[in-house]
Amino acid sequence: MTMRSRLIVAILATLLTLPSLAPAAWAQNALVVSVWGGNWKNTVESVIGKAFTAKTGVPVEFEVGGTIDRLAKARVAKGSPLVDLNFTTTHVARLYISDGLYEKLDLAKIPNAKEIAREAIRSDYHLGTWAYVYTVVYRPDLVKEEITKWSDLWKPSLKGKIAMPDFDPSHIITIAALMEGGNEVNWQKGEARLKQLKGSIAAFYSTDAQSQDLMKTGQAPVQVMLSVNAYHLQEQGIAVKLVQPTDYPGIVGIDTIGVMAGTKKSDAAHQFINVALSKEVQTELVKALRAGPVNLGASVPAGLRGQPGIFTTTAEWKERGYIMNDEARAKTLAAWREWFTATIVKK
Amino acid sequence: MKLLLAPAVVVLAVFAAALTALFRWSLLEFIPGSLQTGGLTLANFRGVLAPQYLDAIRDTVVLSALTTGLTLVLSYPVAYALASTPSRRVRSVLLVLTLAPFFTGAIVRTYAWVLVLGNTVVTWPLPMLFTERGVLVGLVHFSMPTMILILAAALSHIDPVYARAATSLGARPSRVFWRVTLPLSMPGIVSGCLIVFAWTLSAFPTPELLGGGKVKMIANVVKDLGLDSFNWPGAAAFAMLALVLTLTLLVGLGRLTGGRAA
Repeated sequence: MTMRSRLIVAILATLLTLPSLAPAAWAQNALVVSVWGGNWKNTVESVIGKAFTAKTGVPVEFEVGGTIDRLAKARVAKGSPLVDLNFTTTHVARLYISDGLYEKLDLAKIPNAKEIAREAIRSDYHLGTWAYVYTVVYRPDLVKEEITKWSDLWKPSLKGKIAMPDFDPSHIITIAALMEGGNEVNWQKGEARLKQLKGSIAAFYSTDAQSQDLMKTGQAPVQVMLSVNAYHLQEQGIAVKLVQPTDYPGIVGIDTIGVMAGTKKSDAAHQFINVALSKEVQTELVKALRAGPVNLGASVPAGLRGQPGIFTTTAEWKERGYIMNDEARAKTLAAWREWFTATIVKK
Repeated sequence: MKLLLAPAVVVLAVFAAALTALFRWSLLEFIPGSLQTGGLTLANFRGVLAPQYLDAIRDTVVLSALTTGLTLVLSYPVAYALASTPSRRVRSVLLVLTLAPFFTGAIVRTYAWVLVLGNTVVTWPLPMLFTERGVLVGLVHFSMPTMILILAAALSHIDPVYARAATSLGARPSRVFWRVTLPLSMPGIVSGCLIVFAWTLSAFPTPELLGGGKVKMIANVVKDLGLDSFNWPGAAAFAMLALVLTLTLLVGLGRLTGGRAA
C-alpha cells in the first residue's frame, strides 16, 4: 500500500468513526430522565426537555416504563442510578424515599419552587409538577340522568354501568369514608356504603388505556376516572362529561419529580426541575397535558379554567380537590386492595 | 457427550437461581409503605391462603380444565379434516385459517374479543364480557391453533391401513373412528391437553382484558400483589404456591395418562 493509499484509508476510517462517536459523547453528557411512556414522555420531552436544553445546552435522554417497572429498576441500581431524575406519582415517590433512592432537594437551586402551590411541595425529596383529579366521568348519550355528585353513583339507575380502577381503589374508598364522616386514615367507616355499590360495577380497569376503551365502547359509560384521560377522550371526539362533584371534591393526584440518590449530575437535575416549575413551562404543560399547573402564576386557557383537576389559586387547591396523605396512602394501599378484592371485586 | 449437556445445565442453573431468589423473597416480611423487607417469616404463605386468593386458584384450575376440554372437542374435527383431506387446496385453506391467529398478537386478538363479547357487535342472551364465560371463549380461541397442529400431526402419523382393515372387516365409519382412529391418536390428545392445560394455568392477558377485573386467575393475582399492592414478598409466596400446584397437577396428569404423550 502506497503512502497516498494509507492516507486515504486513514481519512475514510476517521470519517466513518466520527458519527458513531458523536452520539456516544452526546449520550455521556446527557441528563437521563425516567418517565411514563406515550403522551407523558412526549410532553416532558417537547416541553420541559426542549426548554432545559435550550437554556443549559445539556441534552436530555429518557428511560420510559410503567410506574412499578421503573421503581424495580431503580431499586436494583441503588447507589449508582441509571437515571438522574424520576417522575412518579406522589405516593409511589414515598417508596423511593423510604428506600433511600431519592436525594434531598436543595431548594436554593430551584428558585421557581417559591412560586408553586404549597400542596405541590410534597416533601424534602420530591416536588409536584402537575395535578389532576379522579372524579366521576360519564357519557351523557348513554346515561340519560344527569350526574352531579359522588353520591349519584349509588343510584339504582346506574346499576351495571360503572367502572373504576382496581389497581388503586384508594379514591373510591376515601370518598365512601368521607361520605360517612371518615377519611383515608379511618377508611373502615365507609366499608358498608362501598359494599352497596358492588352491584353497580360493570368492570374494574387495570390501565388508563382499558379505562378509555371501556368508555369508548360504552361497556362502562360511568367511571371513576382520571381527569387527564377524560380530556383526552374529549379531544378524540368522545362526548364525555367531567363532573365537578357538589358533595365531596375530586381526589387529587399529583405527579412529582425527584433527583436520584447517587447521580453525578445533581446540579443539572436541579436545573431541570427549576425549568419544569417555571411559569412558561407550566403554561405549556397545561396545554399539552390538560393537567393543572403547580406554579400559581402559570396561564391557563380560558376553556380549561375552573374545570376538574385544574387549580389556579391557593383557594382552588384547598376547596376543589381532596389530597390524601401520601404516607397513609402508601402504607395502607396493600390493605385497601386486599379488602377491596375480597369484598367488592369478588363475585 | 457431557459437553453437549453444558447449555442445558447453564439454562437449568439460571432457572434454579431465579426460583431460589423467588423462594427467598417469599420468606421475607412485607412492610407496608416500604420497599424494605423485614426478617424471615411464613406470614406471606398464611396471607395468600386467604379465601380470595384460594378462589383465584380454584377458578384457574376450573377454567384451565374447561378450556382444555372445549379446545379438544372443537379442534379435533378441524385436525381430522386437515390430516385426512385428499385435497391439497382444502388442506392449505384449513392450515392458513388455523395459523392466522398466530399472525396477530395475543393483545390484539383479545381486544377484538372485547368488541365481539360486548354488546356492541352482537347482542348476547347472557352477559359474556367480564364473566368467566367470556374468558373461557377467549382462552379456547387462543389455544385452538396449537391443539389443532398437535392433533393434526398425531393423526397424520396413523397408518391408513388400520382404518382400511377395520372397514374391510365390516366396521362402520363411526366404529372405525371410535375403535381405531381415536385410540391411535391418543398420544396427540394427551400432548395437546397437557400443553393447553399448562398454558392456560399461566394465562394473563385474556382474563385481564376479558375478565374486566372480575375474573382473576393466578397470574393476575401475582401481578395485583406485586405491581399494585407493592407486596413483592406476597407476590413471591403466591407464585411459589401456584408453581407447586401447577407441577403437582401436571405430574398427576402425566401419571394418569401413563406417559402416553406424543
